[in-house]
Amino acid sequence: MIRVAWRSLRSHKLRTVLTTVAILLGVAMISGTYVLTDQIDRGFREIFTDAYRGTDVTVTRKARFAGQLVGATEGLPQDMVEQVRAVDGVEQVYGYATGMGAVVVRGEVVQTGGAPTLFFSYSPNDLTPPDYVRGRPPEEPGEVAVIQKLATDERLQPGSPITVVTDDGAHEATVCGVFRFAAQSSLGGSILVHTTLSDAQRWFGMAGRISEIDVRAEAGVSAAGLAARIRAALPAYTEVKTGAQAAADQTRALSDAIGTFLRPVLLSFGGIAVFVGAFIIFNAFSMTVAQRRREFALLRALGASRSQVLWSITAEALVMGVLASTAGLFAGLGVAAAVNQVFRSGGFDIPHSGLVLQPRTIVIALVVGVVVTMLSAVAPALRATRVPPVAALQEGAELPRSRLTRLTPALAAVVAVLGALLIAGGMYGGGSTLVRLATTAAGALSVFVAVAIASRSFVGPLAAWLGWPLQKVSPVSGRLARDNSRRNPGRTALTAAALMIGLAVVVFVAVLAQGLKSSFIDSFDRTVRADYIIAGTNYMTIPSDTERRIESVPGVEAVVSLDAQQVEAKDGVTAVVWGIDPVAIGRVWSFDWISGDDAALAELGRRGAVIEEQTAASLGVKRGGIVRVTTVEGRRADLKVLGTYRDPMILNGITVGMAGYDALFPKSQTFMVVAKARPGVDVGATQRAIETAMASVPTAKVRSTDEYKESTVDLVNQLLTLVYGLLALSVVISLFGIVNTLVLAVYERTREIGLLRAIGMSRAQVRATVRYESVITSIIGALMGIVVGVVFAWVVTTRFAGQGIVFSIPGAQLAAFLLLAVVVGVVAAILPARRAARIDILAAIQYE
Amino acid sequence: MSDDADVTIAPRPDPAPAACGAGTTIGLSDAVVQARGVEREYGQGDALVRALVGVDLDLERGAYTAIMGPSGSGKSTLMHILAGLDRPTAGSVRIDGEEITRLKERALTRLRRDKIGFIFQTFNLLPTLNAAENITLPLTIAGRRIDREWVGQLIETVELGDRLKHKPAELSGGQQQRVAVARALASRPAVLFADEPTGNLDSRTGEEVLGLLRRSCDELGQTIVMVTHDAHAAGHADRIVFLKDGAVAHDCGRLDRDEIYEVVKSLEDVG
Repeated sequence: MIRVAWRSLRSHKLRTVLTTVAILLGVAMISGTYVLTDQIDRGFREIFTDAYRGTDVTVTRKARFAGQLVGATEGLPQDMVEQVRAVDGVEQVYGYATGMGAVVVRGEVVQTGGAPTLFFSYSPNDLTPPDYVRGRPPEEPGEVAVIQKLATDERLQPGSPITVVTDDGAHEATVCGVFRFAAQSSLGGSILVHTTLSDAQRWFGMAGRISEIDVRAEAGVSAAGLAARIRAALPAYTEVKTGAQAAADQTRALSDAIGTFLRPVLLSFGGIAVFVGAFIIFNAFSMTVAQRRREFALLRALGASRSQVLWSITAEALVMGVLASTAGLFAGLGVAAAVNQVFRSGGFDIPHSGLVLQPRTIVIALVVGVVVTMLSAVAPALRATRVPPVAALQEGAELPRSRLTRLTPALAAVVAVLGALLIAGGMYGGGSTLVRLATTAAGALSVFVAVAIASRSFVGPLAAWLGWPLQKVSPVSGRLARDNSRRNPGRTALTAAALMIGLAVVVFVAVLAQGLKSSFIDSFDRTVRADYIIAGTNYMTIPSDTERRIESVPGVEAVVSLDAQQVEAKDGVTAVVWGIDPVAIGRVWSFDWISGDDAALAELGRRGAVIEEQTAASLGVKRGGIVRVTTVEGRRADLKVLGTYRDPMILNGITVGMAGYDALFPKSQTFMVVAKARPGVDVGATQRAIETAMASVPTAKVRSTDEYKESTVDLVNQLLTLVYGLLALSVVISLFGIVNTLVLAVYERTREIGLLRAIGMSRAQVRATVRYESVITSIIGALMGIVVGVVFAWVVTTRFAGQGIVFSIPGAQLAAFLLLAVVVGVVAAILPARRAARIDILAAIQYE
Repeated sequence: MSDDADVTIAPRPDPAPAACGAGTTIGLSDAVVQARGVEREYGQGDALVRALVGVDLDLERGAYTAIMGPSGSGKSTLMHILAGLDRPTAGSVRIDGEEITRLKERALTRLRRDKIGFIFQTFNLLPTLNAAENITLPLTIAGRRIDREWVGQLIETVELGDRLKHKPAELSGGQQQRVAVARALASRPAVLFADEPTGNLDSRTGEEVLGLLRRSCDELGQTIVMVTHDAHAAGHADRIVFLKDGAVAHDCGRLDRDEIYEVVKSLEDVG
């Protein structure tokens, strides 16, 4: 039977290819995700293992929670190096300071595409042997060495001038050397800079302090034993690890970031693609079963059992699934390479080590591809088994209607209700985020299935309605297309449904993004009373003296620095603490109070706080209550809640006065400075004056509030574009589905087309007929997708109304999607329309 | 109209009734179809099939001509070539004065649309359109204004007034073929080609269709070319052209059924 299946696949090459591609692309996305993330994983592991090769023990400041910016903690006292050196079994000790900043070359900030620019104090030592390819490590203040990739990209060499911008301000420096890190010319797009210890301490506000102490043990001393002895000798706020442990921890931190974000996100897009593919396979098998009705009847008449007929189709699905998944697996390698390329061109040079094809990847790709293909073929195969042997002798008899047809409305309703329950359960129920997300996703898939089932009953009228204008434009082609798309509503419905899925997700994302943008603008307009916003790119900090620099600009009435640090505000729950000047803030900021009022600001003092409503809700505190916050270094404070306000976009956390902030945090970490022009002054001229004042710090961008709003909206749009790119795959797959359906329809209508051609229909008219049918189908898919997507978005925005997303329909974008659907329809029709136009009239009218 | 075959003992190569000329009649004054030296070959080398070996034929405007011949005589091929559905290997065909064998695809389509009507043995109608829409289909394709009066007259002629809103699946075989006749007449073609129009019908409904074609010729002056192997059907024609081995064997005037059988039989015997 496998051979029969193989023959059948080979004799319908085009159909086989189109159907296989439908599942192949989804599988490629999934296997590509695994290959990519495994490569990144291994790449980082190799780097960190290499970096800590010469280190037996590391000492750092113990962090209360993870996720801090590098150098956010106050680190360790410098003299702790001597304390460590005194421990028995220590051969060598090396202490260094580290921090984040930016590098400016020839007046331009060097962009990293989101990766950090990291500074390390460095002096030659045996633990981290120098890997200098040019020049030498920094020796004098003002000397820095840079990683090879930066030197290459920016054409830097020993002697080149460079500007370093840190929270402490801008510092002129000279390049003295070029190095590699752990034999890599680049570290995931990060920029690494070596400085002298004194410069690092000065630039990162760490006078007399260092960030990490690395230790080499004497020969024969175990790393673990030495770590224990060092731990015993040092205060409790230190964290002592073996070098291997430190390498593993750093790898895991990055792997976790990949595992909890990159991988699931990419996998869900792959999952959507596979789901769309399943629809197409189901449809393709339904169509071929109908087409091969007489063949099955003949088999049955010749004595084949039902199970043999069933097996012949299942075997075909099996062969197709294996082909598609194998091809998809290898295509996945291409996907991984392509994504790597995209990251690299975005300046985010992820380390990856060669080809990583784990057995797990192979198993998942094959299982997903084969199982999905076979499951999609089961229902059509079962229908084939019900073809009565007598059908072999009947001309044009219909395939026996599925027993379920009668139950279709009920089935659609049951699946829809199930989907709704799952979505409700996922959104309002308990459980971990992952479980809730999965439940919601399962609900969404059920809703898709329900709509697809139900759509066969409204596709007819919808097609008639959509075809009407086409018929007006083109009386023949339009009319025939309109009729053809209604001839087999089930088929049109499924073909359209495949497109619906991809577009529904696109629309869902578009509506959410629109909501996000509107609520951002709304909230911004409601609270911000300033004229200028000074902020870093990619949410990086700006120098702490920014406020002071702007204060002295003529025409500026008020300036407020918004500083922020993370704290633990409840067990395992982190929150952002914002530090503001409680007096000046009132001139640039209008709090949207829920409880309390502006008077609360005056009372902030050292132990008062006002809290954004979402944070208050998640911490379970109200006005008058107490929040106990713990800093990353372990400092504690009990803050009295003096009021709650709404600000989901900027001050979304706990806001304290500068006095309270300084008491908690050793470093300021300024994220934003807002300023207001004096009434009557030229707002534009003042902005230029502020820009001049900030000229030496190009990392800080000076924007008017309108420009700032725009740039934030742009950021959302960029993200949206990325998501659209990932969803394009699903749309492409559904395009293949339309092609498949049309090719078959054209084949089935060979005689009709021959007749039409014989009585004078032109090739162009034949092509138009196919094209119009395609467009009707794709518009139906788009309309269903838009409705479903908007409903999903409405449900989600309703659920999360408090978290700053309003429900807002982007009309122009939806119209654009509809237009896109028309394009999909036109493109999908190209091949089938050509086939239809080339039908040989004589052969068509003679064939019996 | 003598019956020579009865008195002939040895088979004669040319046992046609008196109304028949051997070979072909060309040089008619008002020929709407003119075929000269039409040859058609299929395949190559050993597999070469010569379907037509040189046909000269003129068909008079307003005449009802039947083309007969045994299987493989080339009658369908000839019709396809005359109708612009197939191209001859050699020779020329003029429809209404226009040389068609070298026309481009687009011009051929226009020719079929404007000058030619078709009735096939089966599958003449588009299943999604109702009877009325099928009738006006050629006009719609051509984007021509529909002449209500003419169409009304056609519908009356084919006696389908009460079935106009029915889809083909809801019509009997005879009704379907009558719709097909009306459709073929709708564009007032220069020539109407009918390929075994009664081949799929029982004798009574077949008679309806044949009568309809006859009336189209008599009342509307429609030129009709019908390919058939049914002697009864051919008996309705004004002229019968017999083909054998890809060439015209006899070109006869009106014959009755027995005479036709006679000719057909003689052609088969000789073969």
